[in-house]
Amino acid sequence: MNASPSHLDLLEAESIHIFREAAAQFRKPVLMYSIGKDSTVLLHLARKAFWPQKPPFPLLHIDTTWKFKEMIAFRDKTVKDFGLDLIVHINEDGIKRGINPVDHAPSIHTDVLKTQALKQALDKYGFDAAFGGARRDEEASRAKERVFSFRAAGHRWDPRKQRPEMWRLLNGRLGTGESVRVFPLSNWTEKDVWRYIIREKLDVVPLYFAAERPTIVRNGQILMVDDNRLKPKAGEEIKMRKIRFRTLGCYPLTAAIDSEASDIESVVLETLNAQTSERQGRLIDHDQAGAMEKKKQEGYF
Amino acid sequence: MTALALVPKSEARPVVQHTLERDLNGIVHLLTCGSVDDGKSTLIGRLLWDASDLYEDQRENVRKSGRKAADSDLPDYSMLLDGLVAEREQGITIDIAWKYFDTETRRFVIIDSPGHEQYTRNMASGASHADVAILLVDARAGVKRQTKRHAAILDLVGVKRVVLAVNKMDLAEYSEDVFRKIEADFRTLCWKFSFWDAVAIPLSAVYGENVARKATTMPWYQGPYLLEHLEKAPSHGTAVEGPFRLPVQTVLRDGVDFRGLAGTVSSGSIKVGDEITDVLSGKKAKVERIATMSGDLASAQAGQAIALQLDHDIDVSRGAVLASVASKPVAAQTIEGRFVWLSETAFDPRAGYLLRTVTDLIPVSNIEIKALLDLETMSSHPASHCGVNDIAIAKISLGRPAAIDLFGDISETGTLMLVDAISGASIAGGVATSVTAKSEQHGDGHFILTREMLANGLCRDLSLSSADREEFTRRANEAAILLRAAGVSVAIEPPPLIDDGMDPGL
Repeated sequence: MNASPSHLDLLEAESIHIFREAAAQFRKPVLMYSIGKDSTVLLHLARKAFWPQKPPFPLLHIDTTWKFKEMIAFRDKTVKDFGLDLIVHINEDGIKRGINPVDHAPSIHTDVLKTQALKQALDKYGFDAAFGGARRDEEASRAKERVFSFRAAGHRWDPRKQRPEMWRLLNGRLGTGESVRVFPLSNWTEKDVWRYIIREKLDVVPLYFAAERPTIVRNGQILMVDDNRLKPKAGEEIKMRKIRFRTLGCYPLTAAIDSEASDIESVVLETLNAQTSERQGRLIDHDQAGAMEKKKQEGYF
Repeated sequence: MTALALVPKSEARPVVQHTLERDLNGIVHLLTCGSVDDGKSTLIGRLLWDASDLYEDQRENVRKSGRKAADSDLPDYSMLLDGLVAEREQGITIDIAWKYFDTETRRFVIIDSPGHEQYTRNMASGASHADVAILLVDARAGVKRQTKRHAAILDLVGVKRVVLAVNKMDLAEYSEDVFRKIEADFRTLCWKFSFWDAVAIPLSAVYGENVARKATTMPWYQGPYLLEHLEKAPSHGTAVEGPFRLPVQTVLRDGVDFRGLAGTVSSGSIKVGDEITDVLSGKKAKVERIATMSGDLASAQAGQAIALQLDHDIDVSRGAVLASVASKPVAAQTIEGRFVWLSETAFDPRAGYLLRTVTDLIPVSNIEIKALLDLETMSSHPASHCGVNDIAIAKISLGRPAAIDLFGDISETGTLMLVDAISGASIAGGVATSVTAKSEQHGDGHFILTREMLANGLCRDLSLSSADREEFTRRANEAAILLRAAGVSVAIEPPPLIDDGMDPGL
């Protein structure tokens, strides 16, 4: 008889079950790959679920063109190492219109280069299911999210069309025009993601570890100057500073924290005993009241 | 500089100190049943405050708000659940909010669902995920009608461990007599149900008495305090008693050698060399390998996601339930079950329905509503219709056999979801209370889609490969659904039972 399972064993098994169920029930799934720690865990679980086969779906990265350079390098290495199919989609129309996170409000940048781009890509390839790394513990409006989250035509999230989920039964039969977002990490917490990364010895983007990096301080937040598109304003000065990131996104919208934690163990210990929740580092969430909830209605994860 | 300090300094030592080495001892999903008046949010809030790894910023919010718990000078702990309970209404038809916290030894998941009478379906869907349910009553009011309803719903969906939290003992002078009276009522109530473990605990949520520490105010109570009890409850997914079941989700292949029947063990355990059977084909085989990406296993138990390779190919696919030979599910053609009607749309005998089990989706050829269950008296009343929030006793005839267990014997493979064939919506969640292999409807005014008919027409382009056979089944099901939606009573001829010649008894 096996030893009694730890909470990570149970979470892993549940996620694998969700992956297998979705792959069997949907015609053309895709895995939303955003390169961060949650995506790293999501991809690892997908590989486990279908081993010895490769996951029976491609990865989709919505590239806003403002991701950290190290993220893109990590993405390309991951895809190559595991022999995966990657689709990169950029909202070319938004780029042509000059939308960017430095001159525009974060909400506009996110809407055009992330939300709109995602819808474009899903429509273009005809995916009927998209795996995402969202977790219910991330913030209040996600606490009620389903594992299979249904989207009406036009990717609209209609609260009345969400299906009750009972026991281990996952009902993925789609109505006309419907598609679904699948969240295998629904029941994971930020702490679980880190513990699992250590347990499974997974590589993550080095930006999660403290290093001397060029920074400016804007609106009280530490930003990394990843390239010359982020120009210091009057009174701002580029300084080298030992920082790391708790979440990763578009570099002008992702606040760093001062940290000495330069290896995985110290990062995880710092995270496990941190006294604030992770989304404080994401500027888009402070942009407007109820921001996440609104973005969800619009089709953002 | 202070604005940059995302991690505020705190004098207080965190309640829970995390280390890298320690994995938590499993997960317990908790459902709390009771109204706001009974102090539900305050109880959970207090538990979080005293025993969990809450972030310091969340604690600070409560302290700074200045809000006070009712009738006291203590912080309003119920604020910790505000994000769940009082958040802007999203208008989701069925609301369940999930909250996660860790104590020193355990992951707890709080399943929060509205508990009013009209929310039977809410509570039932929340309860279906619960390992332990806390029934909350006010010490001054005792066991109420609502408490009985709640207990009945818990029993219906298979919750086995129940705690009666007798709250507001501070307002009942911490009286042993008051508690014993309520405890006795609770015992009487529990006799009606099949709970394995039911305890009553006297407590005061506001003052934290018997919540996360032993009360000093009730020396007459010798039992465990709430957290002590919850930390001892068996974790989710550790019920390894019972016969082996593996509902097959998908078949994994690796070139030529490997054909892994992948799924999550839903009951019992399995080891290399064990014999298993597929009840639909009647075939048997021995387990040769239990494969995972992290390496092969010698054995696996309920809750583990695995892939089984058998000593010879018995050609099963998604929807099959691999089972121990000694005790196997029924290849059911007719099921009787109890269903919580989840949909706003009432039962329509002319609509097309499908039945979902853990990994199968089966066309339904007929549904007969027999009775509605009264949750307060647990008596049933004959009926032929049902609608939202009803508990219906229904008999379902399936278009083809499916592997189903009695919910009372092996819960997971006895769970059912009725699905609208056209919209895909989840209509009713249910549990199988009786399963029979005989079809009661065959040749009884029903149109039967024979395999020959299908092979000569709709499926004529298909070969005998296992992928094509899956496609055959899919098309047959779809055809049945369309006919059914058009008002034709239809059944699909079951595949022939194949004798694999392996049965040593023959």
